[in-house]
Amino acid sequence: MSRTYISRHPLDDLLPLEPGIRAVDHLDVPRSSAIVSVMAMDGEEASVTAGLAASGDVSIRFTGPGEWLAVSQSETPESLHRNLSLLLAETAYFVDQSDGRVVFRLSGPNVRRILAKGIATDLHPAIFEVGTSSNVLCGHISINLARTGENEFELIVMRSFAIALFDDLKVMGREFDLSAGFSVRG
Amino acid sequence: MASLIHCPHCGVRPKEEFSIRGDASLIRPDPEASDEAWNDYVHIRSNPRGRYREHWQHVAGCRRWLVVERDTFTHEVFAVTDAASSAREAGR
Repeated sequence: MSRTYISRHPLDDLLPLEPGIRAVDHLDVPRSSAIVSVMAMDGEEASVTAGLAASGDVSIRFTGPGEWLAVSQSETPESLHRNLSLLLAETAYFVDQSDGRVVFRLSGPNVRRILAKGIATDLHPAIFEVGTSSNVLCGHISINLARTGENEFELIVMRSFAIALFDDLKVMGREFDLSAGFSVRG
Repeated sequence: MASLIHCPHCGVRPKEEFSIRGDASLIRPDPEASDEAWNDYVHIRSNPRGRYREHWQHVAGCRRWLVVERDTFTHEVFAVTDAASSAREAGR
């Protein structure tokens, strides 16, 4: 029996299809991102770190010693997986996570005050610098948090937790009239 | 309970991110050891008031096992090391 699988974003029913009025603090949800988890082989951590740093348009998120998430908005999951596999064939393992994770992009002047309602980690600009990333607990959900800009953070969460995290973020941002919508960029 | 743990991989984190397994100073007995030795290893635990070495797992962070040396009375944390490196130091 043949089945037709339909790619669906977990927040399809919760976010408006058309972009609404954007508040100063905004939660941007990309419809699709290429995400690949990378795990260095034993003793190859340093060479994989160097290799990933040279991988160009890919954003690297730290998840643990010798483990990363490689995120790209421009590449397809297949090409990201293939490019990394070719680049680091003998030193690391790769698993495609694009359908298993959801990316949230939170930006605005009050972003730290919003995140402070769920995250106990110090996010002061001088401590959590641009480019820093780490796994943290947000409420009861473990997420990967990365600072991607001056007042911009990206949260990567397991797909099955996406709706729960979205509900939490809405409550955390209510005080600041946080708006939410799918990313215009795709 | 010590409320802030300095994870060697992730930095200062709240204790809610961790899961605690218990005593880290136990050494697994030989498979041929007596039933009494195995009973002690599996079931018998001290409950010290003071310095204690425990296995903690950073489940919501780097997911690594850590050895946390802390004081159960004053809540002071003396040292946090990765369990793999502390096992290597102990020659296991």
